[in-house]
Amino acid sequence: MRQTVLKLLAPTTGTASLVAHLAAALLVCALLLFALHRLLGPRGRRWLIAAVTFAGGLFYGLEYFLPAHGKPEKNFLTPWIEPVSVALTVVFAFTVGLGIYSLCQVHGRNVGRRRPGWHNSLAFFAAMVAMFVSGLWEHHLRLPEPLPAVVPWPKGVYEVLFNGLYGPLQAATFSLLAFYIASAAYRAFRIRSAEAGLMMAAAFIVMLGQVPFGRWLTSWLPAAGPLGSLRLEVLGDYVLTWLNTPAQRAIAFGVAVGALAMSLRLWLSLERGTFFSEQS
Amino acid sequence: MAQAPATGSWDYLQRMPRYVIYLLLAGVVLWQLLAPIRFPIVPSSTTRDVYKAIRAAPENKLIIISVDWDASTQAETGPQTAAVIRACFESGKRFALMNWTAPMGAKLANDIARPIAEQYHAEYGRDWCNWGFKSGGANVLMAMVKNIPETMGNDVRGKRVTSLPMMKGVRDIKDIGLVVEVTGLAGVTETWIGLVQGPYQTPLTAAYTAVMAPGYYAYTDSGQLKGMLVGVKGAAEMEVLERKPGLGSAIMSAQSWGHILILALIILGNTGYLLARGRARRERA
Amino acid sequence: MNPEVPVLWATAIATLGVYTILYRENPISRLFEHIFVGLAAGYLILVTWTQNLEAKWWAPMVHQGRWQWIFAPVIGLLFYFIYSRRLLWMARLVMGLTFGTAAGYTFRQFFPINAPQITASFKPLRPDLVPPSAGEALHPLRVLDAWGYVILHNWVFAIILFTVLSYFFFSVPHEGRFGRVLGRSSMAGRWFLMIAFGAMFGNTVMARLSLFIGRMQFLLFDWLGHYVTWFGGRG
Repeated sequence: MRQTVLKLLAPTTGTASLVAHLAAALLVCALLLFALHRLLGPRGRRWLIAAVTFAGGLFYGLEYFLPAHGKPEKNFLTPWIEPVSVALTVVFAFTVGLGIYSLCQVHGRNVGRRRPGWHNSLAFFAAMVAMFVSGLWEHHLRLPEPLPAVVPWPKGVYEVLFNGLYGPLQAATFSLLAFYIASAAYRAFRIRSAEAGLMMAAAFIVMLGQVPFGRWLTSWLPAAGPLGSLRLEVLGDYVLTWLNTPAQRAIAFGVAVGALAMSLRLWLSLERGTFFSEQS
Repeated sequence: MAQAPATGSWDYLQRMPRYVIYLLLAGVVLWQLLAPIRFPIVPSSTTRDVYKAIRAAPENKLIIISVDWDASTQAETGPQTAAVIRACFESGKRFALMNWTAPMGAKLANDIARPIAEQYHAEYGRDWCNWGFKSGGANVLMAMVKNIPETMGNDVRGKRVTSLPMMKGVRDIKDIGLVVEVTGLAGVTETWIGLVQGPYQTPLTAAYTAVMAPGYYAYTDSGQLKGMLVGVKGAAEMEVLERKPGLGSAIMSAQSWGHILILALIILGNTGYLLARGRARRERA
Repeated sequence: MNPEVPVLWATAIATLGVYTILYRENPISRLFEHIFVGLAAGYLILVTWTQNLEAKWWAPMVHQGRWQWIFAPVIGLLFYFIYSRRLLWMARLVMGLTFGTAAGYTFRQFFPINAPQITASFKPLRPDLVPPSAGEALHPLRVLDAWGYVILHNWVFAIILFTVLSYFFFSVPHEGRFGRVLGRSSMAGRWFLMIAFGAMFGNTVMARLSLFIGRMQFLLFDWLGHYVTWFGGRG
């Protein structure tokens, strides 16, 4: 029996054999899913989902908590960690299409119905296809490094799209935040209470302490001795290391306990809500 | 949203048109980039710890530089990555770039590493390599600690990582001497600590964008992080330690005056607010 | 083709195109936004294939004959049943697996991340004063200095940690003797949180400014500097 199973799971040789195995595996999967869909009622499906959720969490949690023996230290689940994790990276890689499908649906509708601004949606498709095609072509060119100054045109197109458009567009979009934070600081940062004043004082000290100008401003104070503690860079470091750190740690403790509680609820399928409720 | 017009001079102090603010900001930055007033940069203790950690990494083990950033934070994480790469080359340490969150990081870091490698006559595959972007989130780290070659598969150039000379004998996390995490994304460090640094005691150090750095001082305090670079200031301080001024140092004078402008705007806005509030109280009385 | 100059001009045009939004919403910035989203989508598919699937799934399955890898896309593609009302439960099946493994990771990571944080919070509240030699008394200034350090650092750390923790503790109402103490501690925690938020604001300003300075550096020294030596020499 064991030999038969091992023979069945062994790698194949030859294209025909591979295609046959793949087709058979797909057929088995289709039949299994069909059977599950037909045989399981809503309750059965809920139990199956809860069981799969539990198994997923149990595997990783159990491997961590079970005692490990030997050199290197391991338990009976440890050899499975790496293959399961690699398999999951492949499984989750297929989810990339979810977001892409959504985007294509929205922009496809714009183009199909010639809504105002449909040419922007056309630009979206053109950019997406151009990036993928040129990138794939460039990848298969396997160009040697260091690259020559003159490169094949697919590589050139890819460089223009990636280094000329994609990166700079992202960088420029986020750099707009500098203007918005300057405008927001001017308009909204008002000292209406003592607490706001304390926040402003901390911000002033940190902002000046982090830059060379702030260091220069109080460089006339002697470095050694009690007056040295009043230097802006020392004050800024004190605020960040001894005032900010315990507050951040306290927040982190709260977040960690909350995350643990939420993880327990998800693992045990106790969560209720739009996603977790029965399908209509 | 349209603003109500200013009704007095004090009111005007707190209702300056936004174009004026934008032009002031652009003007200050332009001025400092073209005619910088430079002040000395003195490395902080957290930056020194990063530098020491890189220099103290074992010679016979690899350093992983995890470049989990993209173009949105490139102005900070780019100079940080360059400074870390330079520190590795300076101290003769072999390193591998990798990325398991933001897909762009591996290629952007590759474009940064290549010219620096040429300066140090470092050879790809022998002194440094780029494992590329691996999708799968925390599963990548889970698999990597047990089997690095199988998890990484091909490098960014499409070659099996096992074909690279520097990967000979590199099997699992015990063959890694230090992990340097360069990122602008929250949650990444916690995963490294939870899956790598904590269980296997692999030394971990980091470089963050300034906006996320305050949250990670707690980890340097507990010793889980062996120092960290804070924003472009951290990159500039590393450049000072390496005695090789670069992009980080070039930004700091503009940074200083930008801060002064923002502080001046806050003071201006609050002055206008307080004076207008005082006048309103007097009129009511 | 030499991509250097096209990349330079594409970068400059894209950057300036995005900056037009500072004046007001306009067709140019909207076009560049859509191009950006398209490029991001294309790049995501590209790296998912070239950096992940090609080496870890396609090559073992097709070139090494490991046919078992066919189950990976079967499981992965179950996610797409969220678009079907009848077969939605299959998508929930694989999402359950995702949540389960994420929960498992949280269990694994909780102690390695938080235990050192807890132990590092126990800082000495008394200085460790050792006389220079047996029988010799410590200098008063040294004692003062040591106590000063411990109070300004470790005591402050402990007070801030506990008061901020008490601010987030909602299980006990702020009534009665204990509740009133908790209420006052919670108020103090709020004040200390303001200091932390001020520090975060200061760092946020630094971060945002850096992003803009980076773009200006490119426009001045890389783009204009390519044509005007005066700019190029200053970068």
